[in-house]
Amino acid sequence: MAAIELDNLQKQYSGGVTALRGVDLEVREGEIFGFLGPNGAGKSTTINILLDFVRPSGGSARVLGLDAQEDSQQVRRRTGVLPEGYTVYNRLTGRQHVEFVVESKGADDYAQEILERVGIEDAADRKAGDYSKGMKQRLTLGMALVGDPDLLILDEPSTGLDPSGVQDVRRIVNEEANRGTTVFFSSHILSQVEAVCDRVGILREGELVAVDTVEGLRDAAGTEARLRVSVGEYGPEDIGAVRVLDGVSEVTQLDGELIVSVADGTKTKVITTLEDRGVSVTDFETEEVSLEELFLSYTGGSK
Amino acid sequence: MSWTAVAKKDFQDALRSRAIWAISVVFILLSVVIAYVYGSFSADELGIEEKTAERLVFFLASNITLFVSITALVIAYKSIAGERESGSLKILLSLPHTRRDVLVGKVLGRGAVLAIPVVVALAIGAAVGSALIGAVAAQALLALLVVSVLFTFAYVSVIVGLSAMTESTTRASMLTIGFLVLFRFLWGVVSIGTVWASNGFSIPDTLPDWIFVVNQIPPSGAYTTLLYALVPGQTGNAADIDAFYGTPWLGAVVLLFWLVVPAAIGYRRFSKADL
Repeated sequence: MAAIELDNLQKQYSGGVTALRGVDLEVREGEIFGFLGPNGAGKSTTINILLDFVRPSGGSARVLGLDAQEDSQQVRRRTGVLPEGYTVYNRLTGRQHVEFVVESKGADDYAQEILERVGIEDAADRKAGDYSKGMKQRLTLGMALVGDPDLLILDEPSTGLDPSGVQDVRRIVNEEANRGTTVFFSSHILSQVEAVCDRVGILREGELVAVDTVEGLRDAAGTEARLRVSVGEYGPEDIGAVRVLDGVSEVTQLDGELIVSVADGTKTKVITTLEDRGVSVTDFETEEVSLEELFLSYTGGSK
Repeated sequence: MSWTAVAKKDFQDALRSRAIWAISVVFILLSVVIAYVYGSFSADELGIEEKTAERLVFFLASNITLFVSITALVIAYKSIAGERESGSLKILLSLPHTRRDVLVGKVLGRGAVLAIPVVVALAIGAAVGSALIGAVAAQALLALLVVSVLFTFAYVSVIVGLSAMTESTTRASMLTIGFLVLFRFLWGVVSIGTVWASNGFSIPDTLPDWIFVVNQIPPSGAYTTLLYALVPGQTGNAADIDAFYGTPWLGAVVLLFWLVVPAAIGYRRFSKADL
C-alpha cells in the first residue's frame, strides 16, 4: 500500500490562481520522500490537500489508504504534521501544547519526553509566545511526533532553525523512519533533503517534473558536462554545426569561448567538428554539472 | 469526543488573559453595588411599588445583558477568524479534530470563560441582596442563574458563528460589532420603525400586539422575557397580549434560535472554506 497516492490532483483557487495542474505521485510506505520545488510551486497546496485544509478542484488524494477528504479525521489521527505558516498559542506553555496534542490524539506520550527529544525541555513551562522562532519550530516538530504516527508530514521543517537545529531535524527524521514511519517533507532547498531522502519529487509551477532517487538524479546530472572551448574566429554556421551534433543540448557564446552542454562521449566530436571546419581550438576544459544546478534547471531557476 | 479537548485548551488559553480577570472583577463589584443599593434603599427611592426578594432578581439581571454582550464580543470575535488569520488553526486542524469540533469547542470553551464570572457575580450579588432585605427567593434566583447562563452561551455562540464566516479579523470585528449595535442599541428604532411603516408611515395610538414578538428578537429582549416566565409572581408584558405568542416562553424559543442558528450558518461556511 502507498502511504500517499495522488491521482491527477488539481487545484484552482477561487481567485483564479492555478496551484496544481494534474499531479500524479506515489509515496511508498516507510520511505523518506523529499518534496522539492521553489516557493509557489504548489508544495504547500499539495500538503494542505493531504490534510483537508484545502479541497482539490479535480483528481484525488489518498493518504494511508484513506481518502484525504472523506476520511480526513482518520488520516490526521495517524499523521504527525509540522505545518507551514502556523503560529503557536502564545499564552500556553510548551508543555500545555504537547499535552493538548496528547489529549487530542488519545496518545499516551509524556510531554517531558517529547520536549527532550526536540531539545526544549528547559523551556517546558514557559509561555510559547516567548519562544524564539527556532524553539517554536522545535515545539511544533515535537507535537508532530506525539502518538507515534504512521506518516510524518513536515512542511519546510528547517525554517527558522540554526544549523544544529537542522541537524536535529535530520536525526529525528531518521529515527522515525527507522521505526517504520513514512516521512514526507517539503523544502525549497535541495541540500536539506539530499542527505536524508530515499527519493525526491520536484514540483514546478504545479507540475511534477521529476521523481527519482537522489542517486538517480545524480546520475542524470553526471551524464551531462559543460565543455568550455577557447576558439579563434568562427561564424554562425560553425555554431550551427555543433548544435546539431547528437548529445549536444546547448551552445552559448561568451567572448572568445563556446560553452557547450554535452553528454559524455560527445566531447571529442565537438572539438573535431570545430577543427574540421577550420576553427582554431586553442584550449578546452570540461566541468561536471552539479546536482544543485540540475535542480535549478528543473525548477527554472538560474545560477 | 474531540471538542472537549478544544474547549479545554481554549478555556486554559483564556484563563491566562488578564483582560478576562479584570472584566470579571469589575462585573462582580458591579453586582455587589446593585445588590447593596437594592438592599439599602426604600421602594420609593428605587422607583418600584414593593420591595420583594423576587424583584431583586430583575435588579441583578439589569446589567447582565450589556456586560455579557460586550464581553462575549471581546473574547470571541477572533475565536475562529483570528486562528485562521494567524495560522494557529493549522495546528488545531492538523490534529484529529473536525471543523465542527473546533466550532463547538470554541462555543463551549469561551462560553464557560464568560459563564463563570456571570454565575459568581450573580451568586455574590444575590447573597448580599438577600442578606440585606432578610428574605431569599430561591426559585427566582435559580431561574436567574439558569437563564443568564443560557443567554451567555447563546451570545457567545452568535459571536463564534460570525467569526467562523470570515478569515479576516477586521471583517469579523465589523460583523460582530454590527450585530451588537443593531440588536442591542438600535432595535428600539427598528421596532418602532416597523410599526410606523406598517401603519401607513404614522405612529398609531395603541401599539399592535405583534410588536411584542419584534421586541423579543434581540437576545437581550428574549432574556428578560424568559426571566418573567420563570420568576414566580412576575408577568411582564406577555400577559397583556391575547394571542398564541403572548407567552413569556417565547423568550426561550428565541434564545435557542440564537444558540443554534448563527453557529450553524457559520459552520456551513467554515466547513466549505479553503484555509
